[in-house]
Amino acid sequence: MFANSTVVNEQIKKCVRCGQCRSACPIFREYQTENFAPRGQVFLVQMIRDGLLEANDKVNQKLGDCLLCEACTKNCPSAIPVHELVAEARSYLALKHPSTARKIIFESIWADPKKLATLMGSMRLADRLKLRSFARITGLTKVLPGDLSRAEQIMNNIPSQPAHALLPRVSPARGKRKLRVAYFLGCGTDYLHPNVAVATVKVLNHLGIEVIIPEGIRCCGMPHVANGMLPVTAWLAMENALQLKEADVDFVISDCASCTSALNSPYYQVGGWQEIAEQNDLIKNAQPERVMKAMEWLRGKAIDVHPLLTDVLSLDSLPAKLSKNTRVTYHDPCHLAKAQKIKQQPRTVLQLIDGLDFVELPDPDACCGGSGTFALSHYDLSMKILDRKVEAIIATESELVATACPSCSTQIAYGLRNLEKPIRVVHPFELIAPVIN
Amino acid sequence: MDRAALVKELKTILGDDKVISDPVDLLYYSYDSSFLARQHQYIPDVVVTPRSTEQVAAVMRLASRENIAVTPRGAGTGETCGSVAVSGGIILDLSPWDTIEDIDVPNMQVLVRPGVIHAKLNEQLQKHGMFFPPDPGSTRMCTIGGMVANNASGLRAVKYGTTEQYILGLEVVLPNGDVILTGGMKSKAVKSVSGLNLTKLFVGSEGILGVITQIRLRIWPKPKSRGIVMAVYKDLDDAPASVLEVYQAGILPSGIEILDESAIKAVNMYRPDINLPNAEAILLFEVDGNVESVQWEGSRIQEVTGKRAIQVEWATDPKRMADLWEGRSVVAAAAARVRPDGSRVFAGEDISVPLSKVAETLRSIRSLGAKHGIKVVNYGHIGDGNVHTAPVIDPENPKEVEAANKLVDEIHKLAVTLGGTTTGEHGVGAVRAQYAELEHGAAVKVMRSVKKTLDPKGLMNPGKMFPSEGEQ
Repeated sequence: MFANSTVVNEQIKKCVRCGQCRSACPIFREYQTENFAPRGQVFLVQMIRDGLLEANDKVNQKLGDCLLCEACTKNCPSAIPVHELVAEARSYLALKHPSTARKIIFESIWADPKKLATLMGSMRLADRLKLRSFARITGLTKVLPGDLSRAEQIMNNIPSQPAHALLPRVSPARGKRKLRVAYFLGCGTDYLHPNVAVATVKVLNHLGIEVIIPEGIRCCGMPHVANGMLPVTAWLAMENALQLKEADVDFVISDCASCTSALNSPYYQVGGWQEIAEQNDLIKNAQPERVMKAMEWLRGKAIDVHPLLTDVLSLDSLPAKLSKNTRVTYHDPCHLAKAQKIKQQPRTVLQLIDGLDFVELPDPDACCGGSGTFALSHYDLSMKILDRKVEAIIATESELVATACPSCSTQIAYGLRNLEKPIRVVHPFELIAPVIN
Repeated sequence: MDRAALVKELKTILGDDKVISDPVDLLYYSYDSSFLARQHQYIPDVVVTPRSTEQVAAVMRLASRENIAVTPRGAGTGETCGSVAVSGGIILDLSPWDTIEDIDVPNMQVLVRPGVIHAKLNEQLQKHGMFFPPDPGSTRMCTIGGMVANNASGLRAVKYGTTEQYILGLEVVLPNGDVILTGGMKSKAVKSVSGLNLTKLFVGSEGILGVITQIRLRIWPKPKSRGIVMAVYKDLDDAPASVLEVYQAGILPSGIEILDESAIKAVNMYRPDINLPNAEAILLFEVDGNVESVQWEGSRIQEVTGKRAIQVEWATDPKRMADLWEGRSVVAAAAARVRPDGSRVFAGEDISVPLSKVAETLRSIRSLGAKHGIKVVNYGHIGDGNVHTAPVIDPENPKEVEAANKLVDEIHKLAVTLGGTTTGEHGVGAVRAQYAELEHGAAVKVMRSVKKTLDPKGLMNPGKMFPSEGEQ
């Protein structure tokens, strides 16, 4: 449980409140007062743990003022995983004050691929019937609770088909097979960016990799981590680990920064998983040894598609040439650059594309403010953080901005769309797929 | 005046968005980096974030009228409880007020508001080939206002001195709300001996005399080149002796840092890639200037230190320099690595002793640590005798907390016994006020009378610097 969890017990006392996190946090940057400093979050979690602070709306709100972008964690001289502390505390408060809406969204729908497919199908239908734009024009969206009335605009029209309907279960390697990988098709890529998934499979096949999309894969659990639903993450981690092990592949790959970040997080490792699993009654009947074996198997196997190319295949060239020279910049997703220290590999891949004129973005790993569901509850703040990112992108005079996270892609595309800038947001593999020989 | 009325009036003066009064939000202002703030919770009644001199003056007039304590605060990175409201009242959070008003390169000076971050100022100055030399380890987060109020320095104080040497003048709001300019009403002169030196009175006054709202800083041309010599010693005594010999060779490095055995271990555990050699002590000499002088000084230091050191390395490659210098700068945080379940605490961490006593001091601190059963990690600015000690304890174990408090009390007293001071650069705050009489004797009386003249009601940052009369 919360107070006994390893991270809460061992990490809080390591915080000397030096304040270095003040220099790294994108939310602190906007407010500049101590009540938005990450060390304050650590202090808050400590107060909750010690029973000195009652769980109330204000405390919930304060814990919500965090993108879980890991900028503070990365910059902490004492290496405190502040984001994990915040997630633990959110989950603890959510258990004490359960919310029906949260339970329906995260436990019922988002944990069940079929229900999620139905929900996304109805949203797609609504888009096709122009219901969403009708609702916006008539002001119906204004009745949505909180920031949702404005935040729903961030998501552009839902593509007509999800990736899982476009891709076969097994896509064979072209030529001699070098590797066999399981594609962890994340919810964001599947429903919002199916073109990325198609590009990923095409590029990997061309490079001699067989790609299978395993049966029964569910959400990685990252949205649940962010929304105080760690016990559901435990269940998802268990189910996914078991299914992935069945696939018996060389690697588990994804083009979504958050998915690989989740698969490499403590929640998918034996010790970390056991701690959050204790909170979920559904897991009680699971066979822990089987789950642990699956997690042991998964360890070190989940990898983003860029290091797969640069580190595993050691590619130093790509048979891909753009039809005209194109200026491209790159935004580092937090869950790739900070959570997994993957910064150079996407740049290397981009620079292997013939005709691509790479230009570095100022503060490339500054958060874009998307952070999954953050904008739904913190629209104005999310937009302020986004504004800085979009300004920086525009200043590079790039034609395209590449990134490797569906949440970042959606958020940045919204910012550029609002300013009517014709800069397209792409995943690096979307540039390679159409021109690979 | 009750709290609700105070909050209401402050909101009228500053606007709703510059007054923090929610009980949960106030908790965040109950700490700085000190061990004392970990042991107690000092919660202010209200926090305000003024953005003009007039607003600060209006807050001071209100506080003075209603006899409310006021504590100015920068980034709250201090280690002495200096910016914590130990008697409640109003906290003036000046850190969001971060405007660089003027960069006047022809006159070699800048005019800044107190919340400007040290690293950000130097980022801007670099564009003009200039810099503000004092270099605290907290450069990324500390404010210029906090540096002035604490007369901060850092790794390069050996050559460049402390903050006070760079302050040409200050705008100060006095406790009664009056505003004064020190250093001359219209003066942009880079030297002046006109009038009593009020600037130096306010520099390092830790917010007990008034509120610093604007700072005129002298800036210097940034050196074009730098290099680092690492010298490794089998015997601790050889380290200070080497420092003296380098000085005697006519060289003034920009920084001279020491890591003792415990610090070397901690760094290697935290960052194995830096790979410091195991030894009783490592010295890092940094030299800066033009390319030729750096090369010459670097060679000379290698020659001189080579007489005593078992290993000497000269680095000008930016990557290796960054690693070595980081080896020093990460110790503060890395200290905790010597004990997996521990945390370093900031207490007794800043004594400064005569250079000739550095080795003795380090040995004594080690024995004191052993006596109290506490692991200590020692490092510091040996070039000016400033020793940083990091006791590593389980801060949630009351027995260890008690032992640590005894240990740091003895470290402070040791410094005075050896002819040094309880604080070289971090300040006094609430933590070291108890040693004022021991260090300053009768001079404390004069300090109290200066304080009384400027702050007759005793409202400015009470409980800091020295005990009030009768408290001792």
